[in-house]
Amino acid sequence: MHLPVNSEEPQIMHIDLNSCFATVEQQARPLLRGQPLGITNRISPHCCVIAASYEAKTRGVKVGMRLDEARQLIPELIMIETDPPKYHWVYQNLMRIMLSYSPAVTMKSVDEGVIDFHGTRSNINQRSLSDIGHEIKKRLKDDLGCWMRCNIGIAPNRFLAKLAASLRKPDGLDIIDHTNLRQTLSGLKLTDLNGIAERNQARLNAQGIMTPLQFLDAPSNLLRRQVFRSICGEDWYQRLRGHEIDDYDSGVTRMVGRQFVLDDMQPTDQVVRSRLAYLCETTGVKLRYRGLCAQGIMVHVKYASGDAWYERKMFKTTFFSNAEVYRRATLLFNKRPRDAYEREIGVTCYNLSPSNISQISLLEEVNREVWLTQAVDTINERYGEFTITSLNSAISKDIVTQKVPFGSTRYFELLN
Amino acid sequence: MENTIELNKDVNIIAYYFRGQGRPKCFPKKMEFDGKQVVFTETGLRHPTHKGQRMIHVFDMTDGQADYRLEFDAEELSWKLLYMADMRYASAR
Repeated sequence: MHLPVNSEEPQIMHIDLNSCFATVEQQARPLLRGQPLGITNRISPHCCVIAASYEAKTRGVKVGMRLDEARQLIPELIMIETDPPKYHWVYQNLMRIMLSYSPAVTMKSVDEGVIDFHGTRSNINQRSLSDIGHEIKKRLKDDLGCWMRCNIGIAPNRFLAKLAASLRKPDGLDIIDHTNLRQTLSGLKLTDLNGIAERNQARLNAQGIMTPLQFLDAPSNLLRRQVFRSICGEDWYQRLRGHEIDDYDSGVTRMVGRQFVLDDMQPTDQVVRSRLAYLCETTGVKLRYRGLCAQGIMVHVKYASGDAWYERKMFKTTFFSNAEVYRRATLLFNKRPRDAYEREIGVTCYNLSPSNISQISLLEEVNREVWLTQAVDTINERYGEFTITSLNSAISKDIVTQKVPFGSTRYFELLN
Repeated sequence: MENTIELNKDVNIIAYYFRGQGRPKCFPKKMEFDGKQVVFTETGLRHPTHKGQRMIHVFDMTDGQADYRLEFDAEELSWKLLYMADMRYASAR
């Protein structure tokens, strides 16, 4: 079946903050403006650049590069650590601005979001989205500072809006609709499309599809049966034509956990257990923040030798308290091989279900655990996180700091 | 952070208050510490954060020579200089 290109007036706006963390740091610290700047979660010789300023990007620094590699390209590169409360504030402001235009706002990550203008009030939707886009750029500068810039893409669906937002960086505003779709795609490579990396490119190339235009012209059957061999082919067929198929919420939490690359190259058993206790404590906090309890737990260890080990177990009873997460994680952790020094440890809780913490149990000891956990949470909420903490994890709380979550803003409130 | 000098000192601040849209806004203008006066020329970013239920306002300021981070404790009404970042220091590292 042939599906025509969606000729609807574009109603989807994708907003993407440019090099978000680096731009926010340059906004906060004016002397960093115009300087090559890298952001990392914890500075060490082998740490990884998680955001780079445009000045660093133009000189070859890429996100994911190690600090020593980046310093080979730019010896004077300034590297600073993330400051989550600052990004949280910018995120809140961006969301506030977006929500003032439409209630249908989806934050895709810390630094990007989508506004759906379908069905908005007449005083909004009678203006051109291009005008609204320029107004959003201005409000971002007025509310946060003159260095803040964002890319805006406007299109009939989320995929093309994101593509439009990536066309001219930094500070671009582009519209893709049925009139310029072919022209826009003709100037791009397959890997410029969000979701097409080397493997998908190879699949397309194997069927003679070498450019985005050929991808657009490929029939649905070819994409579904020969290229992707799944419903994904049909999805791509519709997506490229401007029809919306990405408007769904995948916000079901299946796992909650934390991992940490150890700060000591030759950690003692006491240090590793302390870090583990801290990870368990923050995992417990995350569980309760989401109103969940878990039944399964997994512990993984990566060793300095390059080996890795993991163990997981499903329990008959559910758990949610920090102490229980730690107790059960320790049962598994004690089974680990001890042939080499640990480099990374992690704890993951799975098989999650809504918490029954408000249900009074017939068993007194269960009630005592619930009341104690609630009392500790209340005190920590009032006087600051880790005001009451286990002695085991206390020495780790200044070392294993909370970091910026990527791809999701589910735990952003916990970073304050 | 590698290009910062941590200080964590109480400081005296002269602040300006502007009535913006709806509510007054406060910006530090002058700071005294270690017998020196620093006149701020630009506010980088102001963001609120919490210590428990205490509201803390964090101001990132500059005087054109160095960047300063100040904290205003809204409960104690006190100012603290958390760190300063000097570009000469930054490039030397």
